[in-house]
Parts: sequence; structure tokens; C-alpha cells
Amino acid sequence: MRLPAMLLDGARMQLRVISALILRELHTRFGRHHLGYAWIFLEPMILGGCIAMVHYVSGHGLPGGLNVAAFYIVGYTPYYLFRAILNRAAGSVMANQPLFYHRQVSYLDVMLARNLLDCATVMIAVFIMIIALSNFEAALPHDPLKIVVGIVLMAAFCHGFALLILAATVWGHENVERVVHPFTYLMIPFTGAFFMVWWLPTEMQYYALLNPSVHMFEIIRDGQFGPGVPYHWDLGYMVACTVVLNLLGMLALRAVKGRLASEH
Amino acid sequence: MLELRDVWKSYEANGRQRFVLRGVSARFEKGDAVGIIGRNGAGKSTLIRILGGVEPVTRGEVRRGMSVSWPLGFGGAVHPSITGADNCRFLARIYGKSPGWVESFVEEFAELGEYFRMPVQTYSSGMSSRLAFGLSMAIDFDCYLIDEVIAVGDARFTERCRAALEERRQRSALLMVSHGPGLLRSFCNSAAILHEGRLTFHEDLDQALIAYDAL
Repeated sequence: MRLPAMLLDGARMQLRVISALILRELHTRFGRHHLGYAWIFLEPMILGGCIAMVHYVSGHGLPGGLNVAAFYIVGYTPYYLFRAILNRAAGSVMANQPLFYHRQVSYLDVMLARNLLDCATVMIAVFIMIIALSNFEAALPHDPLKIVVGIVLMAAFCHGFALLILAATVWGHENVERVVHPFTYLMIPFTGAFFMVWWLPTEMQYYALLNPSVHMFEIIRDGQFGPGVPYHWDLGYMVACTVVLNLLGMLALRAVKGRLASEH
Repeated sequence: MLELRDVWKSYEANGRQRFVLRGVSARFEKGDAVGIIGRNGAGKSTLIRILGGVEPVTRGEVRRGMSVSWPLGFGGAVHPSITGADNCRFLARIYGKSPGWVESFVEEFAELGEYFRMPVQTYSSGMSSRLAFGLSMAIDFDCYLIDEVIAVGDARFTERCRAALEERRQRSALLMVSHGPGLLRSFCNSAAILHEGRLTFHEDLDQALIAYDAL
């Protein structure tokens, strides 16, 4: 077989595996519960909605006069994605051990399936909430494409991170998972979910912008609120960080390949 | 064709490298039915898992010129928290078969009754084996790797497996690990002994069993 044909075959198989995994994931996580698939959106919506509500009721305004509920919806819900992907990184693959008896299924596939699903559901949840909110107050997103780009980049960035966490776990540090949970909590003030860069003093802005997730929340807010307040994001920087992290993650996973299997 | 070329496999145990396979070469074709015999811990399951691509080799090469099943053994392959039927549909999808067809084939072959629609973790080991074996028949491989899966079934199931494998004798290869000479005689026509990391082939099954007893 010629190389392009082989690549095409491989890609087709990978696509088949990933779509089967997504279907199965939907089944195992949601299909059998009451309300079924509605939970996919309800889960992030309950959390995102409640946080937005708390801040709305507490009545503090935001610099620049941004709508409080909208601010927390587009902040907290993507943060939920960040936390979900990182916290589940190790467990998702460990819980799916039997799948790796089928050589076409790789750790990467399982991770991709999960994270694609999470990304899609969080995206839909954000738009459902924002559209619902627009009936009462706040405007519809100024530029929905920016929100989409921000959430996709967030998912892709976290995916790379998750690959590293998984590789470290497979390598034999079960404690990695114990550290990840507090880490995702401690990161709350640093991710950029709940502050805007222009609120910070100039010298702190520089350090905040070293963190790619800060850029991602900024582009999402830019998409929601549009001109009126300054935003700080650099698409090139976000993409570069995401690509580097994913490459590192895949390399790390390659290095530990087969270690899980050998424990049988 | 399924081929091993100078395959070495080692594990790390207590900081030391322990070799399980030391330069195994073999070639299997459609129509072969080979029993793999060896003592406990000789590395039979490891060999089967390497052939199935579940485990990487330390050195050497595995070449697959035909479709090879996953290692049909006690564990793995099916997911415990979803039902037998859901497992069928999932595996059908990843192997590119029709989910509906695989589901109905396995439902009939495995005779699990209402358990077919219950989570696999509620199954007995015999039932899991029936599910896994039925699935592998539905997916229809060119080469079957059987690691004791048949041994846990009852006589009726063993007979079913034998009939199913007999029916595809010409178009499939069969590699089977077992300790029971009876099972080997009813399924295989030649054998290979795995001893001290090396694989020795015997054209004649009885001769192989005698050689094995002499070890």
C-alpha cells in the first residue's frame, strides 16, 4: 500500500474508534440516568448558573459596567471545562483498561473522545445560558466566533495538559492525581476566569499574560461583551502554547507506552 | 500471515531486568491450528498478548498480514460497567462491523438470556467468556488468539466453540494456550513449546506433549 493510502486508512480507523468512544461515553455517563442526555448540559449549567446567580444577587458591580451574570457565565463555565478535563485525566484511562485489549484503541483516543465531548457540551451550555439570560438582561454575544475559538483553545490546551498528567500517572506516580485536584482549585484566581487583565496594575499584567488560559478567558469575554473595555489576548501565543503542550503530552505518552498493559 | 521476528520481552522486577522471551521467531498462516504449551509463568500469555498487539515488544518485530483477534482470555476486552449488548455495539463500531448484526449474532451465540442486557460485572466467568468468544466470532478475524477462554466454559460451550472454529478452519488461523491435552487435541493439529524464553515447534501434537512432559 502506498503511504497516502495507509495514512487515509489509519485516519479512517481513528475516526471510527473516536466516534464509537464518544457514543459509549454518552451512554455510560448519561444515557441510563433520569433526564438522560439533558444532564450533559445541566451539569455545567447548574454550576455556572449558580455562581452567576450568587454574584448577581450579591449586587456588586464590575469595572467597566459589565453585566455580572454574563461575566460569571462566560467565566465559570469554561473554567468548569478546565477542571473537568484535568481532574478526570488519569481516571478516565484507568477506568477504561479493558478497551486497550483492542490494539486500535489508544490512550490518546480515549482522551480525545472525552475531551471533545466535554468541549462540545460546555460550549452548548454556555450558549444556552447566555441566550436565556439575554431575555432578561445583558445582550447576546457580540461575536460568538470568539467565544467558540476561546473554548476550543481552552479544551485543546487542557487536553495537552491532561496527556501529561496521564503519562505521569502511568509512569507510576498515583499521587499525581491527588495533586491535580487541589491544583485546579488553587488555580482558580490565576486562570483568568474571574478577573480581567486591564483591572491589574501594568507590571502584573505582564505576568498574568504569561499564562495562556488568561488569554483564553479574555477572548471569550471579548466575544461576549465586545468593544467598551480593553481586552488582552494574542491568538498566536495561545495556539503556540497549545501546540507545544500537546506535543509534549504526546511525547510523554509515547515514552510510557505499554507500561499500563504490563501490569496485568 | 502473522509473524514474529526475533522477539525479546523483558519486565523490570525489583530493579532487575527479567527476560520472558529470548528471541522468539515464528510464522503462522491461515489454516494453522497451533497449541502453545509451557509451564506456569513460562510467558505463554505474554506471547499471546504480544501477538495480539496489546503489549509492546522489548526488541524484535511483529508483522500482521491478516486481521488478528484480541487475546481471548479471562480479563480485558469487554467493559464491566456496561451491558453485554452495549459491549457488542461498541466493539462492532471500533472494528467497523454493523452494530445491530453483531448484537443479534452474539445474543444467539452466547446464550446469556436476560443477562445480555445487564452490566458485564454481574456475569460469572463462564458467561463473560461466552460473551467475549461470541464477539470474536461475530467480528470474524483471520487469526484467533485463545488464552484459556474456552477452558472456563461448560461442555456445551466448548462444543459450540469447537464447531464455530471448525467451520472456519480453512480461512482462519488459531493459536491456543492451554494446559489440558484434551482441549489441545480437539482444537489443534500442531504445537509449540515455550520454555526458557524460546519457542520450539512440533509438527505432531502427541510428540509435542511427550516432549513437554519430559521437560
